[in-house]
Amino acid sequence: MKIVTILKQVPDAEARVRSKDGTLDLSGATFVIDGMDEYGVEEALRIREGGADAEIVALAFGPKRTAEAIRTALAMGVDRAVHVLGDEPLDALATARVLAPLVRDEGADLVFVGGKQADWDSAALGPALAEALGWPHSDWTTSLTLGDGALEVIHDVDDGSETLTLPLPAVVTTQQGLNEPRYPTLPNIMKAKRKTLDTRALDEVAAAAGVSATSTTELRSAVIESRARRNVMIEGDAASAAAELVRRLRDEAKVL
Amino acid sequence: MTTSAPTPTAPTPATTSALQDFFELDALYTSEERLIRDSVREFVRGEILPEIGEWWQEGRFPADLPQKFGALGMLGVTIPEEYGGAGASATAYGLLNREIEYGDSGMRSFVSVQSSLVMYPIFAYGREALKREWLPRLASAEAIGCFGLTEPDAGSDPGNMRTRCRRVGDEWVLNGVKRWITSGSTAHVAVVWARDESEGTVRGFLVETDAGGFSALDIKTKASMRASVTSELYLDDVIVPEASRLEVQGLRGPLSCLNQARYGIAWGVLGAGFACLEEAAAYVEDRPVFGMPLAGKQLVQASLADMFSDLTKGSLLAYHLGRLKEQGKDTPARVSMAKRDNVRAALRAARAARDLLGGNGITTEYGAIRHMLNLETVSTYEGTDTVHTLVLGREITGHNAF
Repeated sequence: MKIVTILKQVPDAEARVRSKDGTLDLSGATFVIDGMDEYGVEEALRIREGGADAEIVALAFGPKRTAEAIRTALAMGVDRAVHVLGDEPLDALATARVLAPLVRDEGADLVFVGGKQADWDSAALGPALAEALGWPHSDWTTSLTLGDGALEVIHDVDDGSETLTLPLPAVVTTQQGLNEPRYPTLPNIMKAKRKTLDTRALDEVAAAAGVSATSTTELRSAVIESRARRNVMIEGDAASAAAELVRRLRDEAKVL
Repeated sequence: MTTSAPTPTAPTPATTSALQDFFELDALYTSEERLIRDSVREFVRGEILPEIGEWWQEGRFPADLPQKFGALGMLGVTIPEEYGGAGASATAYGLLNREIEYGDSGMRSFVSVQSSLVMYPIFAYGREALKREWLPRLASAEAIGCFGLTEPDAGSDPGNMRTRCRRVGDEWVLNGVKRWITSGSTAHVAVVWARDESEGTVRGFLVETDAGGFSALDIKTKASMRASVTSELYLDDVIVPEASRLEVQGLRGPLSCLNQARYGIAWGVLGAGFACLEEAAAYVEDRPVFGMPLAGKQLVQASLADMFSDLTKGSLLAYHLGRLKEQGKDTPARVSMAKRDNVRAALRAARAARDLLGGNGITTEYGAIRHMLNLETVSTYEGTDTVHTLVLGREITGHNAF
């Protein structure tokens, strides 16, 4: 069988991202493979380690630096990768339109997509890709068992969980708890260098498939919410300081 | 009545990666080197940082750690794949040391010894069968190794070693005592250096520690490197086959191993130093004094600025030494300069961080005092600060002043 894992490169959760004049300044940020995409890579590897004869292909859209996230997946154990190179971000619908023909060309039986996209928190790419492919989809998936031509999954819903059976091919989006992704081992990092990373231009991929690589949504501005510390020290004796603290919590912070 | 800090908006302190990479060295590493760095960093964050304060306090090196290092492929990374290594660059080895010593110098010591002082001499001087037998097992930590050069009365002057070897047929008989041996009592094999009774030259052997006459005792009274095993080795008529003799003669053998390990230390201590800088920078932001964060005080900033400058310059030195090493240009004097100066920088940073943390700085709830005390060992082992100073003095003047 063939398993495709979709990857996105996002700013490190610990990175300090600033916004200025309606745009994001990512110059100081480090970028990593999306943590929820790693669940998909890990699950694909576990399916193979569980005895399935599977080729695992990573597929990613993004600028040149995305190759680093792809290298991480290759180092974890993915066999080869396709990188659709485009400098400008695409929304989830456009990304799905571009990636769907590639997934189909690969002859994939199973596709993993990160449950959310940590940069925009959209959780839309998995459903959009399933829609573009016309395949069944399980979101927020926490457990997965591969059967004969079908997949049994447990996935989170608002008030608990459901167990579903999906015929293959299918799209699965990940949820925390699906697994604990491995650290890429150092020898595998070195071996990943010899694996195939096929880079294709966005325009060519879109033209070949006859799809539009234009976002439906337009980004007007981006602002990072920030909370400034005020470093206020309340002075006075304990009783009056406590009274002042209560007043501020009630009247200014409005938490009481 | 209230008083407010003079700055109306919250300051934006530099991020972790910004502090650690002020001169944008990141861009100069290969993507494999960055991935190795990041993988080890994640491992240290997940497996070492949450526990290390307790291990250190208890004076314990967890028995399952070597296998975890091995599973990640952290041991002998520069050794070729066919012998179980990763075939990574010297710079990758340096980055690995830096990340692990961000956790603790004792953790890094284990990796240094296994990689530079055990796997390296077997790879460089061992016969093919010896390499095939031991390198893969040492890479996975199925076997642990130690390095016996220093003796109770021979430290900076290893030429005065008393440990002796003598050849009897196809075997060698070893006698002597080695001290300050990392992983000594947990090792399956020991690289032991001994003087040939008949020829006078120094020879190296790979000694299996279950051999008759071999024993080890731990040194328990350390106030430094507490999460690391340090032992004394006793060799009492230990028999070693000729096949386990390393094919090198004279002090060149052990000193070439030390050149590898010292190189790793020049990188490693930067991790400890940056851990202290980051901890201190975060602490002074949170801790108020006279109505404002400590971070707003000039003397505090001066202390941080010194740490920042020292460690940044040390990073540049380590990086360039790595690239020189990859071209075979890591001369002992260059390694001496990097080891000496970077250990000094890290030790100063750790002491300054300990001071900035005030009373909290004397507890192992924070990392500063643990790093500070560990670095006292690092300043002493693998060539004392004095020895490296004299190496540099000789480099300038040509006079040997040891």
